[in-house]
Amino acid sequence: MKTGRVLKVAFKGLGRNKLRTFLMMIGIVIGITALTLVVSAGMGAQDRIMERVKKFGLESMMVFAGAGREMGQPTAGQPATSLKLEDAVAMKQEVRAIADVAPFNQKRQADVKFQDKSTTTMVFGVTPSWAPVWDWDAAEGDFISDEDLTGLARVCVLGPTVKRELFGTANPIGEQLRIGNVQFEIKGVMQAKGTSPAGGDMDNRIYIPLTTLMRRVTNVDYISNIKVRLTTAKDMDKTAASIQALLRERHKLAPGTPDDFTITTPTEVTKMAEKVAGTFNIFLALVAAISLISGGVVVANIMLISVNERRKEIGLRKAVGAQRKDIMLQFLYEATAVTLTGGVIGIILGAIGAKILEAITQMPTSISWESVALGVVFSSLVGIIAGLQPARRAAALQPIEAMRA
Amino acid sequence: MNNSVIQAVNLTKVYNKGGGGEVYAVHDVSLEIQKGEYVAIMGASGSGKSTLMNILGCLDKPTGGSLKLDDVEVGTLTDEELARVRNRKIGFVFQSFNLLARTNALENVELPLIYSDRTDITRLAREALVSVGLADRIHHNPGELSGGQQQRVAIARALVTDPEIIFADEPTGNLDTRSSLEIMSLFQQLNAKGRTIVLVTHEADISEHARRIIKIADGRIISDEVNSQPRDAGREMSALVSKEVPNENR
Repeated sequence: MKTGRVLKVAFKGLGRNKLRTFLMMIGIVIGITALTLVVSAGMGAQDRIMERVKKFGLESMMVFAGAGREMGQPTAGQPATSLKLEDAVAMKQEVRAIADVAPFNQKRQADVKFQDKSTTTMVFGVTPSWAPVWDWDAAEGDFISDEDLTGLARVCVLGPTVKRELFGTANPIGEQLRIGNVQFEIKGVMQAKGTSPAGGDMDNRIYIPLTTLMRRVTNVDYISNIKVRLTTAKDMDKTAASIQALLRERHKLAPGTPDDFTITTPTEVTKMAEKVAGTFNIFLALVAAISLISGGVVVANIMLISVNERRKEIGLRKAVGAQRKDIMLQFLYEATAVTLTGGVIGIILGAIGAKILEAITQMPTSISWESVALGVVFSSLVGIIAGLQPARRAAALQPIEAMRA
Repeated sequence: MNNSVIQAVNLTKVYNKGGGGEVYAVHDVSLEIQKGEYVAIMGASGSGKSTLMNILGCLDKPTGGSLKLDDVEVGTLTDEELARVRNRKIGFVFQSFNLLARTNALENVELPLIYSDRTDITRLAREALVSVGLADRIHHNPGELSGGQQQRVAIARALVTDPEIIFADEPTGNLDTRSSLEIMSLFQQLNAKGRTIVLVTHEADISEHARRIIKIADGRIISDEVNSQPRDAGREMSALVSKEVPNENR
């Protein structure tokens, strides 16, 4: 009852001096807005990592040609030539935990023509095992077959984007198109997969037999990747180690020389992405913390000035029977009410800001109950900490001293 | 059965000046005030009368002597206990009204009740305002009231907790003659209903409204006399008004 009345007194005190209240609030609003933005961006990044790992497959790993490669990063400089088709065959034969392998290579930019229409797309040279390993098959017609692979057949399977660009709604199967100067027959259209975690269109691709790509299109004897599907998600590191040992032996690498390939596991992908997001988040959280601290200092300062200005009011309250505790609570409530209100406004602005950020940068954000809870907790904490010293000072005033002021 | 509300024995308030000198604001004051008395404490400025009132009103602590309010020794109470005594047993009226700005009369009068255990604070505050004749000014802010009306809000605030004693420190100091008489008349009406009032003033004619006059100089009581024929503020006011009325009607 009495506490409720003191709370009411605090709100009335704030309402009586709106400019002061506004000035106290503004720093907290900025701080909590920043905090909410950071947490939303962080949560969004985490969601994206999980999505990436799920798309990649939890029972999979990837072998890249060349050292120090990462998922989704384009090759810089000369392509690594160390990885051969025979490596994939050997891996499947010799490492027991491997269920299947999908070796592939790609040509990043290829001009594709059908009659008078043309487009630019990525050409993937693949084996039939692509479909089970990626869990990604033809939706219409057929995928690349073993006969296509051994016969170096000039057949292709279109991604839905390529199909739309060149054929619209017409049926492309059985038609002929040109990749560069080589003519291919279309034998299927892939299932749609949408945007990749890195932001590329995974449907803007054409698949041809790996052997055909190597001999007739790019004229190389190496491959870029081997995606591996395991029988189980357990003992991932052990399997990675046996693949590493096998490849080092096959590539005749002397002990002490670095690998000329890179093996990436889902846990590694997760860790890597978290590390990148973590660095970014620490930096932004620091900015949010600094603005919250400066907001808190502003609140503490204005509260101190306010206590000084209101010595007479405090003296009067004490003269008519207010206890130390009542005065203390009144000023703590004032400070906390300001920062908490500022916090709620900050959470709303932060959520709106996160949506705008998402629209502009395509970076996913996620407003979670964690970010709301953080905002509420931090803004209350700042209020209590910033209000404590002014409230103490107010409570310590003697009624008679305050009356004289 | 003891009927006294204030029993002060050898009250002293000493301030230490720099260099070891001591100043006695209140020097060995002993006095007793009974329930229902109307006492004026009179003295020139600097005589120590306000310090004495602050001590009697538990706003300040004496450096020596003992003080009983309503048979309770208050000299040994903590700050928190003193706050409770002020809240329950004492009402204050100040020279400069000390109303909260931008806060209406009702909320100003509710102020002491906020810190009490009472729950019906709005009803009590409204009744107190009605009793001082401000029924039609309840929602006015101090800035919209005359000096006399502001002081009546302050008196309502002092009355609202139904205290044992009302202390008034120069309550007419900021008011014109007519408003002063209004306030003095209000005090006399309250005293007639049994309220104990202690009035501090430096004006002899104001002190003559009380029924007992204690004169203070240099922190000591120099006289303590019953005023057998107190001035009647209500009658003085009617006289003042009747002097004005013919002028207004002319």
